[in-house]
Amino acid sequence: MAGETIVRGAGPLTDLRVLDLSEGVAGPFATKLLSSLGADVITVEAPGRGDESRSRPPFLADDPHPEKSGLFLYLNTDKRSITLDLRQPGGQAIARKLIEWADIVVESFAPGQLQRWNIDYDSIEQLSPETILVSVSGYGQEGPYSAYEWSNLSALAMGGLLQITGDPDREPLKVGGRPAEYLGGLAAFSGAMVALYAQRATGEGQHVDVSLTEAVATAQMYSGLNYAYLGENRERVNEFAPTFRVQNGHVGVMYRQQNWADFCRMMERPDMIEDERFNDMTTRRTHSAELNEIVSAWMSTQEKRELYHRAQAQGMPFGYICNARDLIESPQYQHREYFVELDHPVSGRLTYPGTPLRWDGHAQPTDRAPLLGEHNGEVYNSLGYSDAEQVILRSEQII
Amino acid sequence: MATMALEGLRILDATQVWAGPTCTKILGDMGAEVIKIESARRMDIPRGDIDPRLGAGIFPDGEPGEEPWNRSGLYNDRNRSKLSACLDLTHPKGVATFKLLAAKSDVVIESFRSGVMERFGLTYADLKQVRNDIIMVSLSSQGGTGPERAYGSFGATLEQTAGIASITGYLGGDPTTSGTFLPDPMVSFLSVGVVLAAIEQRRRTGEGVYIDLSQREVTTSMVGEMVMDYTMNERTGIPTGNRDAVHAPQGVYPCAGDDSWIAITVRSDAEWSSFADLIGITDDAQREQFTGVIERHNHHGELDQLIADWTRPRDAFDVMKILQRAGIAAGVSLRGDQLLQDPHLAERGFWENVEHPQAGTHPHLSRPFKLSKQPGSTRMHAPLLGQHTEQVLREIAGLSAAEISELKELGVTSNDPTAV
Repeated sequence: MAGETIVRGAGPLTDLRVLDLSEGVAGPFATKLLSSLGADVITVEAPGRGDESRSRPPFLADDPHPEKSGLFLYLNTDKRSITLDLRQPGGQAIARKLIEWADIVVESFAPGQLQRWNIDYDSIEQLSPETILVSVSGYGQEGPYSAYEWSNLSALAMGGLLQITGDPDREPLKVGGRPAEYLGGLAAFSGAMVALYAQRATGEGQHVDVSLTEAVATAQMYSGLNYAYLGENRERVNEFAPTFRVQNGHVGVMYRQQNWADFCRMMERPDMIEDERFNDMTTRRTHSAELNEIVSAWMSTQEKRELYHRAQAQGMPFGYICNARDLIESPQYQHREYFVELDHPVSGRLTYPGTPLRWDGHAQPTDRAPLLGEHNGEVYNSLGYSDAEQVILRSEQII
Repeated sequence: MATMALEGLRILDATQVWAGPTCTKILGDMGAEVIKIESARRMDIPRGDIDPRLGAGIFPDGEPGEEPWNRSGLYNDRNRSKLSACLDLTHPKGVATFKLLAAKSDVVIESFRSGVMERFGLTYADLKQVRNDIIMVSLSSQGGTGPERAYGSFGATLEQTAGIASITGYLGGDPTTSGTFLPDPMVSFLSVGVVLAAIEQRRRTGEGVYIDLSQREVTTSMVGEMVMDYTMNERTGIPTGNRDAVHAPQGVYPCAGDDSWIAITVRSDAEWSSFADLIGITDDAQREQFTGVIERHNHHGELDQLIADWTRPRDAFDVMKILQRAGIAAGVSLRGDQLLQDPHLAERGFWENVEHPQAGTHPHLSRPFKLSKQPGSTRMHAPLLGQHTEQVLREIAGLSAAEISELKELGVTSNDPTAV
């Protein structure tokens, strides 16, 4: 069982206590990074329904079951789960005890919601001045759009990444997956660690405000900078690493000047080395249609992995489009033991992406995601609620 | 409270290009003292090149000027709030000086291709000898171990090899990459917290640590559910355009004006009902056709047409306001000029005007998080190449005037890219 065989908190952030009131992707990803470094993370879920991500695909065998969501299972490794209804005053009283326990509290409610429950930052500061509150939202806690509804797509749009992705003659294109939410999670993790460093020096906590839109805007960087320096908007154009169809997938090419001759030789077209239509960056751009035709024809006969390794061996930074299976089969990932196997009482034994945090002497997620409310007993006992009191809290659906 | 959150922290920064420099920029903005080690012989790529036509710089009004390497917007954004010291690490005295600085630093962070620090004689083991509790963070494409450790990459090729490109693309189309180099900012955001987690560990244990970050692995961690779909269901994802797996409709629709678009996500039947009212789907038969989320998925293409017909003559900001009033997540696809003028970002102080002696004054990005008591800010403009070499060698490395001029004569501290 979780929590019994594992010594919790083995890792660089041992002793750090984190209360996770957030749900979805951004906040839980931030607390996953903390838990993978050894922090004790208690995730608080709504009784009955649980974290929103429990009802999001992919599901094991496409069965929409709250313990079978791959999204939830991935984002909540090494955490404890309790159920608690924050909408009830009794739930808010318990939340205050948990806040006193925690070094860091993470939340993702609509801005203003915590105030209605009397657990906003001002209340937290009075209750427990050393506690850090991290708030994750679409647009940030303040400002004209702070009450706006958001989605991963809207954050990509308002952060400027959407406009510069895709074909110039089509609509802007979102990046696959949930990049705005993951970027927000990274920002929340780092913001929390900055606040923790400051807290160790001053003894005081503070409120960390993460806007997914701003996380996207800071990440994509180019569109604002381009206009600020050049007075023109960056076009939607994908010339950095054009992708070509090969026999069994796609390969991406970076045309660097120092690789041009080797690239021509690899295509068995040494005549192109000195061809003025293609032999520098500017002329390649002017004649990109002709070049694409030549390269596409050659590429169509290639195999993706073989070509990737062959180009890299000659110093050409090629990429190939890896799908999930390519990643699992990647010799590099296998060598570094990036993937881990975890056993779950409902979903069984599965392979998970591991942590990218390669710490000397400490590495992987060691414990699968918790079942909904799995740790109610141990957590509510440690807060001082007797078994009889917990029966009452359960029957009132507070926990 | 101290004014700066990271006061007292010293970072020796041997990173280049994007991920590392942006991490140390954020640390610098938050109060850490960051010493950027640069080489005039092999300049940080975003400084551009001696011949600016070959380089990667974005120059003010497209004018490289006499010293383009001090005018590049890409460099100047990613390297503010730092000191710049020139040191040639291929020279033994450059390496010795680096070690003197490492002895006085909490953290060494580097992003050379795997194996380069080894050739310099600056591995974690080497640095541990000059400072026992040193923290060292290496950022590389593929990590410091494994058969592909020496492979080169750029952000765009990492999007491909990390998996994110396999699910990026128009519906039914080929996979593609983003309009930026996402793995770089992803690693930069993450590594701020990584550096500080290592500091927290040192505070508790008194010990340093070596951290080996693979940009490719970090990027795969951003598509965890895509991997889970394969390990659970043997399903490999494909591009699905702008659609969502659950919510429908979701898309990006044309508005009035050139290249003007609105992103819309409808997340429930209740939202759908108000949305249908707003865009004029009032006919009973039509309402019936799209009534539940399954019907909306099955008729998504048709629905996209109806939505586009409604948005096309309208101003994107008007559409956003109308839909947001009805509680629907709609956002304008902002262009660069619109981002710079966005009233919300302006009120939040998102852009910071930075005056640079050779590049002029430009708005620069702030940080991806805001701390209420110690928000941080741009503390100084990005350094000119080698601007602080002498100061750093004298005040931090503790070298005498004679030692400093010897290094200068040997060319170890050259800050003239045209002379080497």
